[in-house]
Amino acid sequence: MTDSERAPSLDPVLVRIRGLTTVLNGKTIFDALDLDIPRGKVTAIMGPSGTGKTTLLKHITGQMRGDAGEVRVDGRNVPMLSREKLFELRERIGYLFQNSALLTDFDVFENVAFPLRQHTELPEELIRNIVLTKLQAVGLRGAAGLMPNELSGGMARRVALARAIVFDPMLILYDEPFVGLDPIALNQVLKLIRTLNETLGLTSVLVAHELEAIKQVADHIYLIANGKVVAHGDPKTIAQDGSPWTRQFFGGEADGPVPFQYPAGDYAESLGFSGGKA
Amino acid sequence: MSAQPMRNNIVLRSLAQIGACGLFLLQILAAIPRSMRHSRETVRQLWFVGAMSLTIIMVCGLFVGMVLALQLYYVLSIFGGTAASGTVVALAIYRELGPVVTALLFAGRAGTSVTAEIGLMRATDQIAAMEMMAVDPIAYVAAPRFLAGLIAMPLLCCVFCALGIFGGHLVGVTWLGIDNGTFWSNMTATVELGKDVINGVLWKSLVFGAVVSLIAVFQGYTTPPTSEGVAYATTRTVVASSIAILALDFVLTAFLM
Repeated sequence: MTDSERAPSLDPVLVRIRGLTTVLNGKTIFDALDLDIPRGKVTAIMGPSGTGKTTLLKHITGQMRGDAGEVRVDGRNVPMLSREKLFELRERIGYLFQNSALLTDFDVFENVAFPLRQHTELPEELIRNIVLTKLQAVGLRGAAGLMPNELSGGMARRVALARAIVFDPMLILYDEPFVGLDPIALNQVLKLIRTLNETLGLTSVLVAHELEAIKQVADHIYLIANGKVVAHGDPKTIAQDGSPWTRQFFGGEADGPVPFQYPAGDYAESLGFSGGKA
Repeated sequence: MSAQPMRNNIVLRSLAQIGACGLFLLQILAAIPRSMRHSRETVRQLWFVGAMSLTIIMVCGLFVGMVLALQLYYVLSIFGGTAASGTVVALAIYRELGPVVTALLFAGRAGTSVTAEIGLMRATDQIAAMEMMAVDPIAYVAAPRFLAGLIAMPLLCCVFCALGIFGGHLVGVTWLGIDNGTFWSNMTATVELGKDVINGVLWKSLVFGAVVSLIAVFQGYTTPPTSEGVAYATTRTVVASSIAILALDFVLTAFLM
């Protein structure tokens, strides 16, 4: 990647999605979806389960390609990139997986050092300093020698976060970062996301369901349902949007445009009752 | 569904699997130059699939040689030809039993663990994480394991053959009283380096090493990321490897004889 490509762009939108349409196994996941991720902000993607939030992250990173539309990251149209160019772009993107995805053969230190060893020829001393700095940032410098199976879920997620930021990426994507965290760990992760965003000048995208946590950390929220953005705005205004989607989602109501029940036949009939005779 | 379409379906699925496996081999071969920068990983895998398989290979080699010598002694004694025991033990081990049994053991010991390891890496998103860190998993995960299997198999086969002949000597000479000089001299006079050792031990074990490693890596890499998927993939590695080893053994023997 040339220096001019690495230089910060003036475009205030880092990720621009236009007309994204994706059909998986006959089901429309995205229906001409339009979405902008502003540079330097924390953006949350929310929506009912199965609406394609993680799939959207996969489109941003080029792990999946849509059937139509454009996904531009820092000006590059991701689906059109060659594998080499895609890997160059991914070196500038951090991704936090739902299950941390730490390499089980390596200890915490080597997990965080892994991207550095693969992509740089840095001297061992420098690698050590960078890794310890990142581990210190997530509060786990003392756990550098532990193996992944010795970590709790919250610790594993923080190690994965340290690994995701080891290259000081321009964009970091968090897939369900709060799942299974106790209140202390959740609070720490929230603070980390905010601090990293501000100190490193990152752009962060969060996929999560925890509304209260999102309200604390996000600058902007997108609510996705039925393959489209149904509401968006800052955390204060979106809850007062008044649309049936936001009312149901933020109010946690069973009745509304999002059905609680998966489509099925008649309940009484499936239980063997028919014509009112039980 | 009638029997005919179901049979066609199985045939088509098997052909599709073989085709996909062939394409996967091409991907691995293309990734080998890039995997050279992960030579530490290749050495680590060589230790894992090679050195860690030594015990089972040595023990089995010893017992195969011992039982072979015992059987041959009783058969050859009918014709008064027990002096040829050493020769027949060596020929049987170099030409057939060495490469074939080593490959079958290798598939059971190393192939299954490679499949399970890669399958679990996929199920726990470790492969996806590598992709996201711009590390090519074919070059980092698949190619080193394939290369390690390719290098380890001929070495393990040599160890198996050595222990097999030692086992034959133990039973034939030490236990049943065949003359030590006759045992060795008949063997060295009959066994040819090119025809028996190079063709049998080297070429066959190289081919078997490539096939078993390819099947193991392919099954792990393409398995559905579930516990059931990993279990099926491990079983498929053993079944497919065993069939491939025995079928290829016939083909190679026909060509190399």
